[in-house]
Amino acid sequence: MTLAPPVVPLPSRGRRWGLIGAVAVVAAVIGYFAFSSIGSALVYYLTPTELHARGAAAYGKPIRLGGLVEAGSVRNDASELTFVLTDETTRITVHSSELPTSSFREGAGAVVEGELRPNGVFEASQVLVKHDENYVAPSGSAVPSHVAPTY
Amino acid sequence: MLPSLGHVAILIGLAVSLYAAVAFVLGGRGRDAVLLATARQAMYAAFGLAFIACAAMVISLLTHDFSVAYIARNNATTTPPFYSIISLWAALEGSILFWTLLTLGWASLVLYRYRARHTALMPWVGMSLALVAVFLFSVMVWPGNPFSRITPVPLEGSGPNALLQNHPFMGLHPPLLYLGYTGLSVPFAFGIAALLTRRTDEEWLGVVRRWTIIPWIFLSLGIVAGAWWSYEVLGWGGYWAWDPVENAALLPWLTATAFIHSSMVAERRGTLKVWSMALVIATFVLTILGTFLTRSGVVQSVHSFTQSAIGPWFLGAIVLALGGSLALLLWRLPDLGDRGDPPRAVSRESAFLFNNVLFLGVTFVVLFGTLMPLIFQATGGQRISVGTPYYNGLNVPIFGALLFLMGVGPALPWGTASWRTVRERFTLPIVAAAGVLVAAVALGMRQPAPLLTLGLAGFVGTVMGDELLRGARSRARVRGEAPATALWHLATRNRRRYGGYVVHFGVLVMAIAVAISSTMARQTTVTLRPGQSATLAGYTLTHDRLVIEPLAEDARVTETRAEMTFAGPQSGTLATALRDYPNSTAAIATPAVRTALGEDLYVTLLSSDPKTGSVTVRVFVNPMVVWIWIGGAILGLGAAFAIWPDGRRIPAVLPAPEARRAEPAASVPAPVSATMEGS
Repeated sequence: MTLAPPVVPLPSRGRRWGLIGAVAVVAAVIGYFAFSSIGSALVYYLTPTELHARGAAAYGKPIRLGGLVEAGSVRNDASELTFVLTDETTRITVHSSELPTSSFREGAGAVVEGELRPNGVFEASQVLVKHDENYVAPSGSAVPSHVAPTY
Repeated sequence: MLPSLGHVAILIGLAVSLYAAVAFVLGGRGRDAVLLATARQAMYAAFGLAFIACAAMVISLLTHDFSVAYIARNNATTTPPFYSIISLWAALEGSILFWTLLTLGWASLVLYRYRARHTALMPWVGMSLALVAVFLFSVMVWPGNPFSRITPVPLEGSGPNALLQNHPFMGLHPPLLYLGYTGLSVPFAFGIAALLTRRTDEEWLGVVRRWTIIPWIFLSLGIVAGAWWSYEVLGWGGYWAWDPVENAALLPWLTATAFIHSSMVAERRGTLKVWSMALVIATFVLTILGTFLTRSGVVQSVHSFTQSAIGPWFLGAIVLALGGSLALLLWRLPDLGDRGDPPRAVSRESAFLFNNVLFLGVTFVVLFGTLMPLIFQATGGQRISVGTPYYNGLNVPIFGALLFLMGVGPALPWGTASWRTVRERFTLPIVAAAGVLVAAVALGMRQPAPLLTLGLAGFVGTVMGDELLRGARSRARVRGEAPATALWHLATRNRRRYGGYVVHFGVLVMAIAVAISSTMARQTTVTLRPGQSATLAGYTLTHDRLVIEPLAEDARVTETRAEMTFAGPQSGTLATALRDYPNSTAAIATPAVRTALGEDLYVTLLSSDPKTGSVTVRVFVNPMVVWIWIGGAILGLGAAFAIWPDGRRIPAVLPAPEARRAEPAASVPAPVSATMEGS
């Protein structure tokens, strides 16, 4: 049985600062990545009128658009969905190749996530239905609904 | 009649808990045992009154008494009895009533159990818990009265929220979560008591550890049950979406978990005391913050079904609890000085320290993301939400590092580890991890996240297995016992250590299941006419027929149901439906989930055409999801094993830490030293 080489401990004070330094580095790395990555993960929530007001500045940005599905506007087939989302002031045409996770219907509230294309059509990667018994067209204060992440 | 009784019970409850708070203070200061006994009895009475109020609510729900606004909003004459009962926690006011009952249940249990022990601490523990009760009763008297009446009395109520009456899990998931949330006020109360009485020693640490682990078990199970509910009900094929309310449940869990680890260092080595105390305070404040975030309407999520005027009350409670306890902590800072040496770089306590930093890192990431929409709204009125890439991108690497520490920490000795120990303990695990990686790549796995997880799991699993074998073998040799008997004796004599291993094993199972299921799921969306089939991942799904009919249990609900046959690794029939509730604009998904140990077949109905009978369904094949729930159960069992009273209770006062520290921990393999301690 060989003897382990004697461990020469650092003086207590030096050890303390070494550990505090290591902990600070880990915390700083986590903090740095949190602050730097959250910007690109922000999804702006807009009403059709707000989106319209942004004009060309909104093209290509991740946006969540909430409104009511205009009656008579839904065109649906097996793989595509087109409808108009309105806040009763502005109408935006939405196109999606993803079907909503729950049935959505004309006159009800819906939230779509995607981006506005230069042709004025909102290309949605997700169509969500607002699960709320008291749903009103979004008008002020809230970020809506449940988000179902895509795989 | 009954609602009035409930309301009166709440009013008396407020008075009684106010009395208890005052009597605990006066009795504690004057060491007046009689006064303290009346304070305890007042708390038991408050529990009884909360029980009466809850019973009044449940009976009124069952008899559909729509003169109560809460019942008119959350119940209907057609609501089945089971869903009527669980409507107690389906919305805000009822939840607070139920919450009060549970808080007082925990408080009474603790006050009764320690009526003759910890005599210096208990008055202040009682005071803190009584103040929490005063707050909850006040909320029910002023902004959130569960028994407020409406006139004229409606003939029919609007029924429970459609999402909440669609699955029996609603009877399980909220109570578990609330038991966890409310139980975490106990360690907070002990923390405040310890700071006030300047008894921040091993005595309170021991009690607080146990009383953190008990609610932690419920909180863990509640979070897992919530993920399971989300998976079974919401129909999007997943179980975790970093939704604000999920985050709200996770945040106190993270800090409580950090505390459970840091308290071991504080107990064994006398360091990290301020840190541990801060974690206890943070955990409690985060439980209130969770309620504030999800119930006040400042952040909307799938769960924020009701909004009310309670927001400012909870905000006030957060400011008071956080400000008051931080001030107290700063005032008592001199008492909490570290007695022990700072940890050495390669030792168990440094592993614990980094574990804590990482847990707080996740806490920060999640809290920052959850509060971001609030910050934006407060500063510019912009409405935003934070996408899942933020959470996953940051938390996956941190969880990976935590997994690594989970293997390293328990295998390192306290104090300092020699190079020889490190080599002895970790050579085999590293080889095993490499083996697992090679096998996974050979089997065709290419994505980095699951590969990393599997490699780490191989590492951690081998460390734990090696540890168990070593311990069992040495005990078997010394005592001449059969290996299995030796292992059982070893475990039951060192419940904390071996219970902890079981918890870690549960975490390992969950980590593998999450990594595999979130990266290797397959899905497709198909439209099928009756008789047509689709295939996915070895399954053939045939659409038999479309049925649209009222639901048997509740005729006001229309169910649109696709009946299908499936064949493949599992086979049989399934029905996936959309339910139209009269009080919901959107139909509620009722996905069909066929669970096997290897994978789930998950079918959710998107739309249907009654004229042709054709349906559009989304089909998922989700591997290993069931192991997330199994892992959660293992974790709960392990924690229960760890804190189970072991009969031969060592005196409440722990052996002096100096004596423990004197053992040559560095050179003796820990299980052997544990065996010697146990014998």
